[in-house]
Amino acid sequence: MSRWLLRRAAQGALTWGIAATALFLLVRLLPGDPLASAADLPPETRDSLARLYGLDQPLLTQLHHFVRGLLHGDLGVSILHGRPVTELIRDHLPPTLLLGASVLVADLAIALWLGTRLAARAGSVTDRWTMRALLTAHGLPPFWLGLLLVWLFALVWRILPAGGITDPMLHADTGLLARAVDVARHLFLPWLTLTLTGVVVPLRHHREAVIEALDADWVRSARARGVPEGEVLTRHASRAALTPILMVAGLWLPMILTGAVLVETTFAWPGLGWLMAESVGGRDYPVATACVLLGTAAVVFGSFVADLAQRLLDPRVAE
Amino acid sequence: MLRPALVVLALATLTARPPDRLTAQAPGSIVIVSGQFPSQPVPTLGRGLADNDIADLLFLRLVRLGPTLTTAGDRGFVPQLAKSWTRRDSLTLVFELDARAKWHDGVPVTAKDVAWTFTRARDPAVAPAHATALRWLASVAADGDHRVVVRFTKAYPTQLFDAAWQLPVLPAHLLDSIPPAQLSTSAFVKSPVGNGPYRFVRSVPGQLVELVAVPGHYLGTPKLARVVYRASADGDTRMNLLLSGEGDGLEQLSLKSQQERFSASPDFRLVQVPSFHVMYALFNQRSPSDRAAPHPVLADAKVRQALVLALDRATAAKALYGDAATVPVGPGSMALWARAEPSTTAGGDTARAAALLAEAGWSDRDGDGVREQGGRPLRLSLIFPGTSPARRLAAQLIQEQWRRVGIQVELEPLEFPAYIERRNARNFDIDLTAVNQDPNPAGLLQGWSCAGGNNIVGYCDPGVDSLLNRAEGARDGGRELWQAALRRIDAGAPAAFLVSPANVVAVHRRYTGVTLRADGLWSALAAWSVTAGSELPRDRTGAP
Repeated sequence: MSRWLLRRAAQGALTWGIAATALFLLVRLLPGDPLASAADLPPETRDSLARLYGLDQPLLTQLHHFVRGLLHGDLGVSILHGRPVTELIRDHLPPTLLLGASVLVADLAIALWLGTRLAARAGSVTDRWTMRALLTAHGLPPFWLGLLLVWLFALVWRILPAGGITDPMLHADTGLLARAVDVARHLFLPWLTLTLTGVVVPLRHHREAVIEALDADWVRSARARGVPEGEVLTRHASRAALTPILMVAGLWLPMILTGAVLVETTFAWPGLGWLMAESVGGRDYPVATACVLLGTAAVVFGSFVADLAQRLLDPRVAE
Repeated sequence: MLRPALVVLALATLTARPPDRLTAQAPGSIVIVSGQFPSQPVPTLGRGLADNDIADLLFLRLVRLGPTLTTAGDRGFVPQLAKSWTRRDSLTLVFELDARAKWHDGVPVTAKDVAWTFTRARDPAVAPAHATALRWLASVAADGDHRVVVRFTKAYPTQLFDAAWQLPVLPAHLLDSIPPAQLSTSAFVKSPVGNGPYRFVRSVPGQLVELVAVPGHYLGTPKLARVVYRASADGDTRMNLLLSGEGDGLEQLSLKSQQERFSASPDFRLVQVPSFHVMYALFNQRSPSDRAAPHPVLADAKVRQALVLALDRATAAKALYGDAATVPVGPGSMALWARAEPSTTAGGDTARAAALLAEAGWSDRDGDGVREQGGRPLRLSLIFPGTSPARRLAAQLIQEQWRRVGIQVELEPLEFPAYIERRNARNFDIDLTAVNQDPNPAGLLQGWSCAGGNNIVGYCDPGVDSLLNRAEGARDGGRELWQAALRRIDAGAPAAFLVSPANVVAVHRRYTGVTLRADGLWSALAAWSVTAGSELPRDRTGAP
């Protein structure tokens, strides 16, 4: 196992290194002027800014400076914000993790619970209509569903906020519980949007796996032993069908970081997706590079977690 | 039974607003929603609109522009840090500082602060944009604690504007130990100390910046105790934040469709503020593929004039902006004090346009609706940033109007950085561009004189150069000369000057004393107040 872990870690690092170099170059090869926000300034002023951010250097020199900075934990300074990139990432990562993790947990919980129950009723009216409804929700563009929910909950009923992560007028002395409730109120609509549009993927995987498991020999023998049907479903079939859903969860990890760009924009959620969209759109090279590197790291890590989960749950894979 | 009850309880908790902390006094507040987040609200560092909005409330200039927004001469300015100013000679201005002015840490504002601020800002490596604006300053020196002497390298009418308006003053006692290269990452930028009517409280990156009123400020205690500046990149989200009751002020609602969303709301009114914004279709007079050669179509003045006359700019402006726009004469925005008005060709003249095109040798011989000359169809491309709703709509309107006179225009919506790259490379036929002008008309020289740094299309009219240079040096400000220059630029048709829209601002109806300024939209916020009896809970929320 330890040899496997070492091998996978080395593979992951190599993959990340290659991807990081390729993405560094690709971000800079996109057509567009990183000093577009200074378009109205005189040419000599723009030249000064280009020198300030090292944009006048050859691409390989920029790559050399970037790698040297990366090894020292320095990702450079944002062209749009004028602040260190590490500070920007530190500021914008927590909201994204909160939203992404809460969506992931909800999706997995719903998929496990509902997927198991729908598998037990496979082919029934409930199963068919639930799957149709969830597939329809999956087909909706998340930003469109988000706008619809904002219109209903924030503009018509005025019971939930339209955007942001906290109420800006909350007093500094407000207690922890009230602050948590405030964040939960702001989280609810983006969370609902992403959960509704995403839950069908793990749910469908789990449902199929449980249907398959219900046909297995050990489940039939459990039934023959007189084990109650509920227990057969949850303890025998559903548990044995965990592998696909954990695979999906592992591969879904990158989505937590970068998968909610449009929803973060729709709800003014100050996360990494918003920062990434802004930096790519504004050719803020240092920030865009850092965001894609983080996304790549999440892909590598997610795939590692998926492989690990598969090995742990199914020893046949290791053999 | 328990589970549904828990679900109901959770939903009730989520949809209940957290309690606001009420205080005895009713200080008032405003939540301004913006498209940008103010990352560096410090003069010489900030580049965005949001940075300037916050800096206007935190930092004072020596003077501010008067109601006419005139930048020439020594009169018409309103004292801020400087209580008075005198002229020693044509090259020297002397400012007397108001001794009551203090930094938010309690230290008095002195002449040393002013001298230090200007000296640092004139270094192109520190503040390139300011260094350009202050290029005619020879020296800025402190003469005692409250007298500043500014010397210029030449005599010109906007000396006071350059010396006193271009740059707010920074605290030397907090900044002189910070190397310029480290300023943007210093603690000062995270928590700026200013001298304005509001002081900085906190910044939550990507979310909000909060300011509170400075009690007993020497220019008067602000009537609104708290200012919160929220950011959202998406236009619809910004409007939703106001319409859901979470914001009080939102600017740049110039498009008719945006205004319609607020006109139905009982909580908001729309205020039109003259702006320095001009949108125009710029004609490239040099060949995009060979800068040394003239443009095969647009180098011909008759064709350019026909392109302008083919447009019904008045109707287009109304369709896009309703009543909140004017058709400019040349590149003269509606807030520019030297603008010329009104445009006599705003309605267009398609018959005259067709005649001019025929005179230039362009006619539709094969009847396909597109004019040709020697077998070459009159086909042009028009670039614009596809992310701008106003320019997207304007592009479609002018494409249709040009089609009617036999000109085929291909629209090329581009991502903003890609658009700027194409523009800087001069790789276009027509550029649907928009500029935010400087209040000083001297900025026109950059774009419209033969040697202007921003003149990217090869436009050159020595007559215009002569007028612009004479206007820049005119002792009386040269209003008539500026206007003559604008009219001459307009007649030469280097561009079709389409529209100068007002900045339409949605403001909650509970405020009185509302003043919005073209040269700093929220800079007069200290005079606003909440009408008694119409306070919202957030107006009674005590400052932290």
